[in-house]
Amino acid sequence: MARLMMPIFFITLSAVYLILTFGLTRSKVGDPNGPLYFPALIGIVLLVLSVIYFVQEWKKRAEEVTEFKPLRGNVLILIVATLLLSLLYTLVFERLGYLISTILFLGCLLFIVNGPKKWLQNVIIAVIFSFVSWFSFAKLLSISLP
Amino acid sequence: MRQASFLFLLTAVLFLAACSSDTPSSDSRSPTDDAGEAFNFPTKEIEIIAPATPGGGWDATARSMQKILTDEGLIDQNIIVVNKPGGGGEVGWQYLKSKEDGHFIAINSSLVITNHLLGQSELTYEHFTPLAILSTEWISVAVAPDSEFKSGVDIMEKLKADPKSLKIAVAPSLGNNDHLAFVQAAKLYGVDVTQLEFMIYESGGDVVTALLGGHVDVATMSVSEAKEQHLAGKLKMVAIGSDAPVEGLEDVQTWTDQGIDLVFPHWRGVMGPPNMSEEEVAFWDETLHQMTESEAWKEILKNNEWTPFYKNSSETVAFLQEQTTRYEQLIMDAGLAD
Amino acid sequence: MGIEMQYFMEGLSSALQPINLLWVLVGGFLGTIVGMLPGIGPATAIAILIPITFGMNPTSALILMAAIYYGAMYGGSRSSILLNTPGDGSAIAATFDGYPMARNGMAGQALTISAIASFIGGILGTIGFIILAKPLAEFALKFGPAEYFLLFLFALSATVSLSKDHMVKGFIAMMLGLMLSTVGIDRQTGVHRFTFDIPQLSEGIDFLVVIIGVYAVSEVLYNYLNLDWIKNKNKLGRLWITKEQWKRSKWPIFRNVPIGFLIGVLPGAGGAIASMLSYTMERQLSKEPERFGKGAIEGVAAPESSNNAASVGAFIPMLTMGVPGSGTTAVILGALIMLGIRPGPLLFEHNPDMVWTFINSMLVGNIFLIIINILLIGLLVKILDTPPRILYPLILILAFIGTYTLSYSVIDFFILIIFGIIGLLMKLLHFPIAPLILAVIVGSEMEQNFRKSLIAYDGVLDILLASPITVTLCILTILSIIYPFMLSWLKNLKTHQA
Repeated sequence: MARLMMPIFFITLSAVYLILTFGLTRSKVGDPNGPLYFPALIGIVLLVLSVIYFVQEWKKRAEEVTEFKPLRGNVLILIVATLLLSLLYTLVFERLGYLISTILFLGCLLFIVNGPKKWLQNVIIAVIFSFVSWFSFAKLLSISLP
Repeated sequence: MRQASFLFLLTAVLFLAACSSDTPSSDSRSPTDDAGEAFNFPTKEIEIIAPATPGGGWDATARSMQKILTDEGLIDQNIIVVNKPGGGGEVGWQYLKSKEDGHFIAINSSLVITNHLLGQSELTYEHFTPLAILSTEWISVAVAPDSEFKSGVDIMEKLKADPKSLKIAVAPSLGNNDHLAFVQAAKLYGVDVTQLEFMIYESGGDVVTALLGGHVDVATMSVSEAKEQHLAGKLKMVAIGSDAPVEGLEDVQTWTDQGIDLVFPHWRGVMGPPNMSEEEVAFWDETLHQMTESEAWKEILKNNEWTPFYKNSSETVAFLQEQTTRYEQLIMDAGLAD
Repeated sequence: MGIEMQYFMEGLSSALQPINLLWVLVGGFLGTIVGMLPGIGPATAIAILIPITFGMNPTSALILMAAIYYGAMYGGSRSSILLNTPGDGSAIAATFDGYPMARNGMAGQALTISAIASFIGGILGTIGFIILAKPLAEFALKFGPAEYFLLFLFALSATVSLSKDHMVKGFIAMMLGLMLSTVGIDRQTGVHRFTFDIPQLSEGIDFLVVIIGVYAVSEVLYNYLNLDWIKNKNKLGRLWITKEQWKRSKWPIFRNVPIGFLIGVLPGAGGAIASMLSYTMERQLSKEPERFGKGAIEGVAAPESSNNAASVGAFIPMLTMGVPGSGTTAVILGALIMLGIRPGPLLFEHNPDMVWTFINSMLVGNIFLIIINILLIGLLVKILDTPPRILYPLILILAFIGTYTLSYSVIDFFILIIFGIIGLLMKLLHFPIAPLILAVIVGSEMEQNFRKSLIAYDGVLDILLASPITVTLCILTILSIIYPFMLSWLKNLKTHQA
């Protein structure tokens, strides 16, 4: 039944979107329902499309789902780790400033992706890249980085 | 460059350590050490916040200030412009509110009043330290060159009979000055302004194109956006919301000339974070006054079709109070709030 | 015409003054670089330079800023081809075939053809500018809300039609994109929609963040699947294109110049639509459409000549009417105004020397740029030599920096990460990404024009039949959807008969 997950997700999404749409504040000027027309149209069309998608997948329900096969073991760990690190980076970016947070982020990332064995290479790249990018963006292009 | 900013940082740290009463300071050595007369400001990089993306009036104002304050030697420290777009100024001003001292200033306009009145923001100018009003633009009403309307009053006459008879172009949002100036003129003439049909475009340029292409009947926009087209005879300005005829456009009557008592400045100013010290306010008063007196500033105003409108910090507070009352009424009239 | 010729020559000699040559070179080089980086586009680069242009002669300033703009068009396709990470909307179409070419060991050739196509697009666009500037400006005025609405609809349906085998998924992706575009303040009424009280969302989701997320970030994640992918033995292959490849690309390059140019002239359309439409058209005209998406060289050539022509076309409304057609020209306009030059209908009469110097500088600039870009190819393909385990983390960092420069807010980082995940899922589930992106780019303008049409016309039928332009666009929209099906139906018919 895994095959039906995506269509069901889209059906739910369009339903939620439609509910939110009809819950929007009405406009005080012009046509009070003006802000609703376009979202309502999108929601309805998406709902119809998701149902078609559901039917298509229903016909193929006997077939095995292969799409997520590549997401096994190490790869999944790598992806999740990268996303978690990115989240962490987001949270500390403005507090620690660009240079420190980037060195840490890139360092950890390389550590995970490139492997702990090449730690020296990782550290050197993290420091040099962070510094060069900081210099070229903040100083040469005077883009204000925290 | 980098060495210099490092030095600034170092002095800033020393200075803060010396002056801030919150900081437990063992090393209380003021950098100039002349207690009393030497109020030392600014001590670090100045940040001018433009609460918009590059390309608009706020960004232009901020970058002009950066240029002139540096070139005229009014401020020795490094000055940077920071763009913080979002929410019609909201994002940039929230950022300013989180700052502690007068090294941070932000550009503002009537949106600092109207956002709150429109229910889009908690902030009002009272959350900040108003420092100055710098310049104003005037707002004009234009029609196609072959239009039946010869004056602003002609338009209002038609709208009075049937408020839905004309499509009016405005940018970039309802409740902004271009919109409200038209609403107020219409209101004063006795038009039922809640019935007016506005088409909202992304920018003043798009409003011009819509009018040139005949997709709308009337457009309201700043004088600068319409002037070239008017001079080329591609469109016709029929009214300006200024107190006196605008230079180069003496053929266009003001609303007052046409018997509608309306002067509507679209001003831009500067404010600092809350709780600025008196000395800091005094510094900016002095500095900004000198800036507005400079030739370079006048040149930039002229190029942008802006009009000098300088008010110092105390005048600004009074002005903002008066503006708030005015906008409150206007926004209710336009049906944008109840 | 005699006077024009004289202006042209004066313009040429002034464009060839050393100082102006220098600015073209600096601008073109800077543009190429910012074009390659995700997020940091020509608009940001020019805004940063505004304080520098203050003291400059307005003509030099215009030359410099324009060179950054069209230089970025050259640079934009570089990262699309090499890394599948377009830096801007107009570079998306270059990923469709450019990236597969690079994977097939033809990175050098893909870069070469895109530089050549960009060059031809830029030069012919400039010539078009000289001959057609004024009539085209008049033509652009005919586009009212109904026309724009249908133009955007056509661009979207054409993009969806690219994913013929996954039509339903293509439409779903497009609807998702449109959905995202409804986030923010509704311009017509000021109502906040789906912003959940986050002020940063009130101006909508920046399409560049979406692009960087679903392309750059998800590409990094996707490449984790085969990190130790061993490169083709023939690696970079040859750099220069073969006769055969030139033959394939020649017509696509030339016939897409007018398309890109025309779309560029329309304020509010721009390079993304131009390159996407050119790509679709080439594929539908092709005798072997199945080669597209797998590394067809004409699939790189067509959108590249188109978006460069569009970037030249975008100067027409700006200079002749003072109406910026894109974010970048808006910044340029702002900078020119500060220098006391007010583009508009009188510019050509008051400052002919400036206009003609500018035109000639574009000719000179394109020659510079093709040289720079071809020289850079050897250096750029070296990027592919970097071990992927090091390269991809670095790309991720660049994606974050690029995103930060868009609005200096870490809120965008969250959006970036979310779209990275969405992009990865879409890749795994074979959802086409282009319809999503294009919908995010044009969605809000499309809605606004739809709503304005509702005010201007009485009913939906009136909108569709508003003018010859709308009727044409309607027919094109319908054709773009059914044409691929008709084609395969005809083919089936033929094989059955045979």
